[in-house]
Amino acid sequence: MDPREAEDLQLMSRVAARDGVAFTRLFEVHAPLALGLLNRILGKRSEAEEVLQEVFLQIWMQGDRYDADRSSPRGWILMLARSRALDRIRRRESARRREEAAGEAAGNSVPPLGTERLESFERSREVSSALGLLSPDQRRCIELAFFEGLTHTQIAERLAAPLGTVKSRILLGMNKLRQALSA
Amino acid sequence: MSMATPHSTRIEELLPAYALGALDGDDLRELEEHLAGGCVECRRQIGLWQRDLETLADSVQPLVPSEITRARVLHLVGAAPAVRRVPRWLPFAAAALLLLGVWGIAGQLRLRGEVRSLVAERERLERQVAALDREVDQARSEARRAAEALQVLAAPGVQSVVLAGLGPTPGAAGHTYVNPQTRDALFYAFNLPALEREKTYQLWFIAGGKPVSAGTFDVDPRGTGSLRVAQVADIKDIQAWAVTVEPQGGVPQPTGAMVLKSS
Repeated sequence: MDPREAEDLQLMSRVAARDGVAFTRLFEVHAPLALGLLNRILGKRSEAEEVLQEVFLQIWMQGDRYDADRSSPRGWILMLARSRALDRIRRRESARRREEAAGEAAGNSVPPLGTERLESFERSREVSSALGLLSPDQRRCIELAFFEGLTHTQIAERLAAPLGTVKSRILLGMNKLRQALSA
Repeated sequence: MSMATPHSTRIEELLPAYALGALDGDDLRELEEHLAGGCVECRRQIGLWQRDLETLADSVQPLVPSEITRARVLHLVGAAPAVRRVPRWLPFAAAALLLLGVWGIAGQLRLRGEVRSLVAERERLERQVAALDREVDQARSEARRAAEALQVLAAPGVQSVVLAGLGPTPGAAGHTYVNPQTRDALFYAFNLPALEREKTYQLWFIAGGKPVSAGTFDVDPRGTGSLRVAQVADIKDIQAWAVTVEPQGGVPQPTGAMVLKSS
């Protein structure tokens, strides 16, 4: 275990015991990456900052639920952030669908679902070097699942690709990612 | 109650998508049933996949949270003071202070303008006073010279000698007045031409057959010049008066052209 993770584990146990100083340290260390991830998923800085507050409130309130056997503190925080951001996107998506339904009823022209987000992903920041080793199709499927929370079926619909192909791309892509990370 | 699916390669192939959150439909139900059976190996592998996925988060660029977010989060745990909300009256108070400030600055600028104007007026008056002082000094000086001249001219037995123009300056003339008691003398020259800068006129009296310098003088644009001479020789010993053109500052003995001479 590297010293950074050892410090994180110590901080998490102190946060579980309601240690404000440890919580402050945990925020200083992990908030920037969590905010970067939130911003990447939500595509809106103000919303990302808002969700970051929710994430760290959850860490403070549920710090005792952290399970060191299942993930590192850093991974737990990032996955919490991802999970909250995806929830936010799903709520946003559902609200958008309602608005679109209302717009169609009124005869308004509405852009196809998700087009804007797909384009924003095209403009997204550079992916990690490990992701760079994947084929574009594999990378796209994994990014859609990780950053947008889409399932196999939703990805297949989004990309207009056969479901089996999407499953295959994700499985092969994940295995390639592991190989790249362990190399 | 359905039987849990036994551990298999197919089940293991579902794990990456499950960790990613992409699994759905029959695949998801199948794996959840298997996991519900308590498969330790699958739990271990899911943990490993999740660790791999955490790395995906590293592909994003970290962003420093705003001070507001930081303050709010840390306030939640009492680790730092919250960002205080601005009281409603504060903008009005600030505006009032700003107006007062502007008014104060305007007043200051107006006062500064007045001070500058007064300073300029004072300087103008000082210049006037200095000019008047110079005029007074000049008048005093002229009065003093007039009194001195009068002292010579009005002295009993004052000796007056006329000098006539010579050679190139036939129209020029001069007068000397000597107080026989004090032996102070006054000399006036008329119609003498202006000289080059390095030249000057020099007055001489001849006593005992030798020229004695009485001093140098310059003429004004009208050709008029004057000289007051203290303590000349006894009038009985002065045979003649003459004016020559000499180098600036004068010389001990005459060297230049003679322009005035008494008869």
